[in-house]
Parts: sequence; structure tokens; C-alpha cells
Amino acid sequence: MSGIVKITRRDFLRHTGVGAGALVLGCYISPKGLFAAGLPDLPDLFHNGSPLNNFVAIVPVQGTIIIMAHRSEMGQGIRSSLAAVLADELEADWAKVRVHQADADGPRFAIEHPVKGGAPSFLIPDEGSQFADSSRSMAAYFKPMRLFGAGIRLVMVRAAARHFGVDPADCEAQQHKVLNKRNGKSIAYGDPLLLLQAKKVAEHPPTVDEVQAVLKPRGQWRFIGRKMPFVDAQDMVTGKAVYGADVDPKRHGMLTAMIVRCPVANGAVKSFDPTAALAVPGVKSVVEVLPKGFPGGGVGAGFIPHAGVAVLAENTWAALQGRRALKVEWNLGSNATYDSKAYRGELEASTNVAGKTLRSKGDVDGAFGGASKVVERDYYVPHLAQAPMEPPAAVALYENGHWEIWSPTQGPELTQHYVGLAMMEPTPANQLRGLTWQAADPSELPKESERTLQRLFNEELEKLLGVDQAGLFKIRDDLKKEIRDKVKVHVTLLGGGFGRKSKPDYALEAAFLARQHPGVPIRVQWTREDDIKFSYYNAVSHQHLKAALGGDGKATALLQRSAFTSFFATLFPGNELGQLARAAYHNGGKDGYGSGIERAHGLEDMLFDVPNVRIENCPAQNHIRVGWMRSVANIYHAFGMCSFADEVAIAAGRDSKDYLLELIGKGVVLDEKAFQDQGVECFDNNGFPVDPVFLQGPDGKPVLGPDGKPIVGPDGKPILIMPPYPPDGRRLRAVVERVAKESGWDEKVKSYKGIKGRGLGIAAHRSFLSYVAVVIDVSLNEANELTIHDIYAAIDCGIAVNPDRVNAQMQGGIIYGLSYALLGEITVKNGAVEQNNFDDYPVLRIHQTPKNIFTYVEDPSAEVASGYPGGDVPPTGVGEPPTPAVAPALANAIVAAGGPRIREIPFWKSVKVL
Amino acid sequence: MSIFQLHVNGRLHTVDIDGNMPLLWALRDVLGLKGTKFGCGVAQCGACTVHLNGRAVRSCSIDVGVACLSEITTIEGLSPDGSHPCQKAWVELGVPQCGFCQPGQIMSAAALLTATKGANPTDEQIDNAMRGNICRCGTYPRIREAIHKAAGGSSS
Repeated sequence: MSGIVKITRRDFLRHTGVGAGALVLGCYISPKGLFAAGLPDLPDLFHNGSPLNNFVAIVPVQGTIIIMAHRSEMGQGIRSSLAAVLADELEADWAKVRVHQADADGPRFAIEHPVKGGAPSFLIPDEGSQFADSSRSMAAYFKPMRLFGAGIRLVMVRAAARHFGVDPADCEAQQHKVLNKRNGKSIAYGDPLLLLQAKKVAEHPPTVDEVQAVLKPRGQWRFIGRKMPFVDAQDMVTGKAVYGADVDPKRHGMLTAMIVRCPVANGAVKSFDPTAALAVPGVKSVVEVLPKGFPGGGVGAGFIPHAGVAVLAENTWAALQGRRALKVEWNLGSNATYDSKAYRGELEASTNVAGKTLRSKGDVDGAFGGASKVVERDYYVPHLAQAPMEPPAAVALYENGHWEIWSPTQGPELTQHYVGLAMMEPTPANQLRGLTWQAADPSELPKESERTLQRLFNEELEKLLGVDQAGLFKIRDDLKKEIRDKVKVHVTLLGGGFGRKSKPDYALEAAFLARQHPGVPIRVQWTREDDIKFSYYNAVSHQHLKAALGGDGKATALLQRSAFTSFFATLFPGNELGQLARAAYHNGGKDGYGSGIERAHGLEDMLFDVPNVRIENCPAQNHIRVGWMRSVANIYHAFGMCSFADEVAIAAGRDSKDYLLELIGKGVVLDEKAFQDQGVECFDNNGFPVDPVFLQGPDGKPVLGPDGKPIVGPDGKPILIMPPYPPDGRRLRAVVERVAKESGWDEKVKSYKGIKGRGLGIAAHRSFLSYVAVVIDVSLNEANELTIHDIYAAIDCGIAVNPDRVNAQMQGGIIYGLSYALLGEITVKNGAVEQNNFDDYPVLRIHQTPKNIFTYVEDPSAEVASGYPGGDVPPTGVGEPPTPAVAPALANAIVAAGGPRIREIPFWKSVKVL
Repeated sequence: MSIFQLHVNGRLHTVDIDGNMPLLWALRDVLGLKGTKFGCGVAQCGACTVHLNGRAVRSCSIDVGVACLSEITTIEGLSPDGSHPCQKAWVELGVPQCGFCQPGQIMSAAALLTATKGANPTDEQIDNAMRGNICRCGTYPRIREAIHKAAGGSSS
């Protein structure tokens, strides 16, 4: 039993990044957010820069523009891309732009709702503003960054007008200066005279409508949509880039900690003998990571570290040797019986019977009864480990009741919050106090089902605490403030994240150890073996798929059953309070069922247009720490469904690509009504709205302005706050057609018929709001040896903001997909992970990588674009969407090349991977 | 503990350490040269690649007692200002993503170009020289391209 609930509803849920009702951001933003008055103290790194808002400062004279990167860089290029968006609208000279990494400071980067008293109060709430997961940094902040940039440009223009004594209409910002069009003179952005005027202008900042009006039209973008330099590249190739393990707070005597962890999740330390470890030269101390009596980590305890004993030494080598010498006895606990081989059978049994229906259309059973042919197949994906190149590492310093943390983390504020929560004594009172983190105003939530769950949670907690709702919120807010004051988190570069570094357990280890060594910086360094054995593994999944075919070969019914362990089973304690907290995630993980987030990864949003459909979630109990890996539940859902589509095509005697297009049909659009009609309770949609969101209360009534009148746009209609992001079969179809054309599918299929052992495979999947189709060209020789020749992939991600990084993410995401498809498998015996390092958990190497990975950006069709203001389809995910379709495309290609049908990962068990 | 003299990037360092300490930790923890990365500790991933007398080796698996006999070059010493042809090609082609493995990749690539005496290697030569360097971000296609570019050639 854990004393502390470690997730806040907002951290992961639809409020994350841009949350649900919250997600609300596209076209409207508060002036207060644009030009924050009374800024908190800006970091020293701003030198004497003139802070223009929470994201930008201009250094007087030299004119350098410093842009805060509030999202973490893990290779997706977000530090470069978001800065480029802002700089474009600001009319900055890119050579004078510097990017500075922000500390954890959620409130600073939150975006308030334009109207107070409306719901929700934040467009992007404080707790999600920095959380880099689910491929949504650009999707969430594209519009805010543009507004910030354009707003500052407008201030500069007005300031220049005052300086020149002319009308603002006579001034124009271009290339880091403002031109007086009357006389051709100009004044630079960094000119102190201009900044002086800008400060005065910013006292009465432009309104949102004014800023909206000066946003650059697409044709005038200089950086957006162009190949932009990668700001960290030079540091990375010269060894200057700073990652988690490279931090040295420049204080005397940093100690490096190596930790022996309990091999089984949720186990505990029984006893340990430090003598031999302490005898190693350089070893300074040997301590338990968790204080005595502190609940152990692992299953049900979320981000609390595994139970373990740390060896702290002067350097890494001494710590490693000390760890080797250390003897620890464990209480392994109930998970010691977990055996992944046996577990596979349990999951298969689970999908053999009907599960919980998530989505249903037509009469599936009737259609099976009348079918000419029935195809029925099972697919399996084992646990997978993210294995970022940089093993987890973090540095912590504890002094005078305060923590300073340096961490390569995807969740800066998440790290801050959980360090703060974990450092509280695990008393019953603090348990309750920690739970208030998840208290929220139900009226801020967009859907009745969510409001009900939140209300229940609040009421229960109010009863336990003996307070009313206002009292509850006060406890929560006081706690948040206390933690923000106590814990400072600096974000380093991440040597890869892939979901592993959205879990702050390693920073918590450093924080616990720092607490025991006041004044001494503590660096926790994981080895690769630690990383492989103590990951948050992608869930095991078993899929059962069944299709009915009519006499013409067309699919008349589709049954999709999926069993997988939910992240939330790991996250929430098994006690009553934990169960209560779980409610806020639609009971994710409860009784073995998935959360709304996981169900939205290729299950509820399945886009094949078949007349009769039933989608079921079958239970799966959890016995290990489960987390998320690049593209998460899409990994197994895409592998199952896209492989199955190919199997059905073959059963129908049809071309795989033609049949795939037939399954997609013209392309259905799953709007809220479609979801409701098919019984989907609350579709997560990566935290973005399915339907357009207008400025209105949850009751659908217009929001009233300060003057008491309804707030409407200039046309008298409700103001659009967020465009729609529905699962859209038309876009899926378009990427399939594009990749088929680019790969020369039709001609190659014909010509390969005459070539033994050569074949093409295709797959397509929507994830993280983007659409990707992949074609893979392979050979299989008589020795069953696989060669992957070329890969073709098309993505529709709305506006491709930084096409070079889109291409890089596609290449990388495809290689990540190949890697797990061919080689990926984590197995567990007696509760302990069996793999150790890259020798027994291999990942793709350069010689196994196909020579050509061709990528294409497919712009949304005119028909799709017509549904968006200005025809600009907003940018959507890029980091994860390229991954899911790879494994099934490869499996399908292997069959086309005369190889076996592979229904489980990894493929090396079925074909030879050289 | 023993006294060792390490020739690193043209400078001589005298250190008093355990002779069995892998060169990687001596570079990082003792000399403060943090450009060389720890990825696996067992010569599987190449993140710690440095040059010993111009040859690419995994510094996690070479003891200080052995390394002290050779001229050691790390990513910090590959060029005075980041202008090695590989470094330039890496930046121009936007090879890095997370960047963590790239010092090791570049040290392996630079050693390859030394071995080919600057001639443009074949893809097969690249695969052989670079297969010991893992990149989880999947920058391999651009690494190939960058090596060809650094050799003054175009991709074959």
C-alpha cells in the first residue's frame, strides 16, 4: 500500500498539454497571457533582457531574442521548432535568436481562458503545460507561439510609431527591426529607445482580436513550413551538449549513486550488509533509497522508486564496484509469481470470451451467421522496453528543506510535483493531502461522465478531510504552492525519452538520497541493465480479430477484442483512496480494463467502414510496472488490425492495398455524434476535441463578458476556440493512396509476382491525431533470411511546421518500429525481467536498416481543409505516429514474399534477421 | 590506487586512480570530459567511442592501465572548433535527434575516414564500421549520408 497517490488527473488526462475542455486553444487567447504583467523574477540567464512575456525576452543593444523552451528536447527538435514558430511571427532574425531551457514552472506556461468565470479557467492548465508526451507539443503550442510572436511584433510596431512620431500604420516590422515607411529609416528591436517605448506600449497591450488580425497569412511565413536549423546540433556533435549524467552543480564532492533494486515490482528490502561495499575505495555510504517504513515501489505505487539500496561513491566506477560487493536480501512479494509465458495464456483466454463492449454498430453476430466466409485470427505483442540511449540519470541537492533537481525529464512539473509529494512523510494525513492534487472543479470538465466522476471524487475526499469544496481546493492550492517553493527542477537535454522519461522515478531516487545527505549533490546513474530491468514496460497485449465476408469478398462485420494491461494499474495504489483516484481516469486499470487514453489508441477510433462493428476490451491483470512506449497502445492495436486487414484481403482473394482502401471506404468521420451513436462513452482523442469548440459554458450557453453581454465574434456567431480533430477516414485514405503511388505499388505487385521471395506490404494507422501509411519492400531467401529493401511512408500531420524534423521523426519512428517488430521482447520469470543489456535486448543497428526510407508529407485535401478556418488544418503529432504501421506492413510484406504469416512480435522467431 | 599519465587530446594528465577503472569513467568523472557517453558499459552500443592512436575503441571496456599507453582522442579533441568534416556534415545534414549517441557515432565515422584515407567509403564499409554504434532515435540513414558527405562524395 502506498501512502501517496502520485498522479494528478490533469497530468495525463485530456487536460494534459492542452486538455480537454481545456484543449481549447486554437484561435483565442487572453491578453493577460500575451503580456503578463508583474512577472515573477526571470532567471539570471535573461541577463538584463527586457522580458516581453513568459516566453520571450530581448537583450537591449545586442538585440538577441531569447525564447524560452518550456517543453523538453528529446530528439524531436521541439526547442528549434517552437522557437521558429514564435520567431517567424515576431519577424525575428533567426541568427539573433537564442533558445533557453525553462525550469519546471507550470503556471508560467499555462494559458488562461480568455473569459474569467467561464469554463474551463485554463486553455492549457499549469500542470500540463510542460509535459512532453503524446506527440502534442506542437499541436498544443503552435497557435499560442504564433500569437505571442505576433503580439510582440505589434507592440514593437506601436513602440516604433511612438519613437518616430508617426502612425503605427506607417511602420512595418521586418527582420528584427521596424521600418518607418515614410522616410525609410528603421530602428532595431534591441535599440534601448525602442524597448523603452515598448515597455510603455505594453502597459496597454494589444487585445487578442488585434493580435489575431495581424497574424501572418500562410504565404508570408518565413520559418514555418521551411527547413529550419536544429539549434542543438553543434553542441551535440562537439560533446558540449548537457544530458542528465553530465550535470555538475560545481560544488565540492558530488557523489554518484548506484542502486541495487528489488528484482520484483513492489518488493521490499529485507536486510542488507554494507560491509563489503563500504570496503571499496571511494565508497562513502550505503543507504536504503526509501526511508524506513516508507511503502515500497513498483506495481500500484506509480512513480515511487523500486525498493533498493544505494551505494554512494566518489565516482561511478567506485559506486559500481561497491554495488557489486553489496549483499541484499529481499521480500519479493506477491508479484514474484509473475511469469510472462504463462501470462500470455491468460490473456489469450481473456480474449476468447466477450469483453466489455466499447463501441458497437449494427448486428455483428447476425452478420457472422450469414457470412460466406469468416476469418478469425489472434495477435500477440510482448512487453517492450523503451531503452533510450541515455540510461536514466538525475542529480539532486537538498539544503535547508529545499530540493534542487537536474533531470532529463519529459515532465518537468511532473517531476517537481512527485518529488514534493514523495518527500512528505507517508502519514495518513499526508495521504489525504496528496490526493487533493486530483481535486478539480467538475464544472470545468467538458463531458457529463467526467463531471460525475470528478464530483464523486471531490465529495469523498471532502468527507474524509471534513471540508467543503472551497476548503478542498485551498488544501490543494496550498500544497501546490508549498511544493513549488520547495522543489526546483532544471531540465537537461534528454538522451532519448520514448516515454521512459515521462516517469520521474529516477529523479525521486536522487531526491530521497539527497534528503539523506544534506548539502551534497547526489547523482543517480542507472546502468543499461537497470534500464532494461526496471523500465515501465509497454503493456503485453493479446488481440482477437474476426471478420465476416460476403459472397463478393466484402467485409460485412468486424469484431476487435483487445486485452492489455493499463498504465493506470501501475499508477494507482490498490487501497481505497487509490481506487477513488482512479475514477478520474474512467477507472483505467480497474478490474483489468484500459483507460480512456489507451482505448483511444486504435481501439475505439478504428476507422474501417464496415457495416457491423463491435469493439471489446477484455481484462488483463497487471503484475509489473507498465508504462508507455513511443506510440503506446497503438503498437499492438495497429499490429493486430493492419495485419488482419491483410489476412482478410488474402482470404477474399484481393490485392492488399485495394482491399485496405475498400475497408476505409470513402472515409468515415467519427464526430461526437458518431461516437455517441456507437456507444463510446468518452472518447479521449489524445486530449483534443473531436468536434469544434466554441466559446461557451459546459451547459452550451454563451459566456457573458464583463458587460454582461454574450461574447461572440465579429460575425455575431460563437467564437471558435478549438478546431475539430475527429478521426477522419478521408485523411487515412489519402495517405494510403499517396504511399501506394509513391511506392509504385501496382506495378511492383505485378512485377514481383514473377520474382520468388520478393514482396510488398502495406499498413495505415491514425495516431496522435495524424495519419500515416507505410509500404515496405522485402526479400526472403531460401534460407529464410529477411532483407528489407525500401520503405515508403506518407504522413498527414496537418501543417508540417518543420519539414526536416518531420522527415527525421519519420525515419526515426519507422526505425523504432522495425526495431521492436524484428527484435523486441521483454520476458519475465518469477517476477523478474530476464533481459539485461543490448546483447539480449537487441535494437536495430545500421546494417539492419534499409538503405532507403522515403517519406512524404501529404497535405490534407481541399475537402478536409474546408472544415478549418482559413483552410489551415492545424499541426498534429509527428514523434509517435510513424511507428505503429511499421510492424504490420513488414509482416504483410513477409507474407507477400512467400514467408510465414507472423502474428507475434518479435519476428526473429519466424524469419532470420541478419 | 596508482599514478597514471593519460595523453588526452594532446594534453598530459596525471591521475591517481584504480588502474582497472574503465577509461570512460576516468574521462568523465576524473578529467571532466563529459562528451564521451555511457550507454551500456559492455561495448555493445558505442556511445563511449574514443580514439586510441587513431583507432575507434569503446572506452567503457578499456582499462586506464591499458589506455595510458596510447594517445587518446575524445569528441572534445576531434577538432579545435567542431570543424572536423564529420562534425560539419552532421550539422549540415541535421543528423542528430536526441544527440546522445552522436559523439560516439562521429568518433567511429572519423576513424573510418582515417582508415579509408579520406576516400568515400561504400555503404558496406560504413555498415561494418558503424554497426557497433547504436542510435535509438534512428538517425542511421542520415549518418550514412553524412559520412559520404564528409568524405567529399555523394551517397552511393
